[in-house]
Amino acid sequence: MKGALVTPVIVMVVVYLLLKFVVPIIPGSAPLPFSVIILYMMLTLSGIGMFYTLSKDSKDAFWGPMERFLTGDNIGGMQALRWGLLILFPLLVGWQTYSSTAVSDEPPGENRTIHPAPPGEYAGLSNPVAKTPDAIQQGKGFYAAYCSPCHGGNFDGKGPAARGFNPPPANFADPTTIAMLQESYLFWRIKKGGVGLPIEGMPWKSAMPRWEVELPDEWIWKIIMGEYDGAHQSPRTWE
Amino acid sequence: MIRGLSRIIPSILVGVWLTIGLLVVQPVSAEEKAPASASPELASESNAVSASLVKGGLPTDDPTAAVWSTAALARFPMSPQVHWPNRILDATVKDLNVRALHDGTNVSILLEYADPTEDADDAAAVEFMVGDKKAHFAHGQPMAQVEGGPVNIWFWRNKDAKGVDMNAMGFGTLKVQEHQDVQAKGVYSNGTWKVVFTRPLVTGHLEEDTQIEMGGFINIAFAVWDGKKDVSGGIKEKGSQKAVSSWWNFRAEAPPNYTGYYYAAIAVGLAFGFQFFLIRNLKKGHRA
Repeated sequence: MKGALVTPVIVMVVVYLLLKFVVPIIPGSAPLPFSVIILYMMLTLSGIGMFYTLSKDSKDAFWGPMERFLTGDNIGGMQALRWGLLILFPLLVGWQTYSSTAVSDEPPGENRTIHPAPPGEYAGLSNPVAKTPDAIQQGKGFYAAYCSPCHGGNFDGKGPAARGFNPPPANFADPTTIAMLQESYLFWRIKKGGVGLPIEGMPWKSAMPRWEVELPDEWIWKIIMGEYDGAHQSPRTWE
Repeated sequence: MIRGLSRIIPSILVGVWLTIGLLVVQPVSAEEKAPASASPELASESNAVSASLVKGGLPTDDPTAAVWSTAALARFPMSPQVHWPNRILDATVKDLNVRALHDGTNVSILLEYADPTEDADDAAAVEFMVGDKKAHFAHGQPMAQVEGGPVNIWFWRNKDAKGVDMNAMGFGTLKVQEHQDVQAKGVYSNGTWKVVFTRPLVTGHLEEDTQIEMGGFINIAFAVWDGKKDVSGGIKEKGSQKAVSSWWNFRAEAPPNYTGYYYAAIAVGLAFGFQFFLIRNLKKGHRA
């Protein structure tokens, strides 16, 4: 009889451990959000409920011990556990209610898209400057003069002027920044700066200058070459 | 009867398991939600200024008043203004300490920062968005794809010894308001400026002034100028050459709200009642 209750508990625990710790380590997978785990746990619980109500015997074997636990007269040491559960459950409900209704001290969260889509006219633009050692060197010189104060002499986003900005200047050495982007994307971002971002990019928080008012396009294309070379990254291509 | 009751018991199981599940998983999910902030040396120490509600008068003209120590300290990193020419690549002030108090009618914001010299052109400012539209932190620069709003700037300069209430929507558009609602007072001591700005929480000028509703978060940014003169007589930092912060959050604390406790008490009562009737019915079922 006891097995009828122990098995579902074990199933629930095993499913939770699988979802929480095993799924994330499967290649190509990622940690599951809390809401998804809860959804799977609910499905598991529903499945257990259905399984144990398939026949009268299994149903009685499943619910019987619980009824005895809640209402039985001679349950020995389980009496204390019963009272503990009957007191704990309302307190947990109260705590959950308080947590969900209390005013939060945390500022509202912000969801910033780090690489929002560029305007159509920038899609597919290719770098018109020939990739020569001279052009790359010139680009690195422009980078040092205009970009390194924030993006850093080591292309790591840790320039001397960077520390106060939120979001922080991009770290080009990080493989999740310019290595994931095409040269045309960088051209758009350098040319239009923070104020050129769409709303999901939170334009009101970016300190990136609108370089089109200060630098000719050719310099911007050279800066892009210098950035990729200096950060030891390659632009993303369609091939 | 037992069959009927057995339909109710799953509800208890679901409730108990879900509650326990939530308790177990909540701390973990909180970790998941932690923002992936910048590297430690670039991360800000605070993300919000919280103005405590005080009874009695605000220290509007005393940046050194003892009551300031009761206000929560927020600390923000500052950067040289690089967004727009004329830019500056190294500013004197690197960090800014901010505290705030309000009395339900007025709000006082105290800025405290290290500056090696006291100069006539030393200055500080606080910036807010106006209305519902978002504004770029650099003077509300116009944005290409988003219709932004203006910013409201409260400005203080040592030689003027007063607060100035201004608006801007992009560099070069700074305009002093016709109606001045901001007071400011600065005190320099031991290499540190303490500047307090004070304004009513709400004003009648919705198009120009930020309106501070108690309990709600709004955005706030800061700027500081080192007015030191160099050997040629020029001022080190002036105009767009200044130390700036990004947008952060500001809130004037609301009066204590006990609603959450009331709801929790009702929920506890309902849960106890549910258990009471459930067990009573189960026992009746056994006797039947």
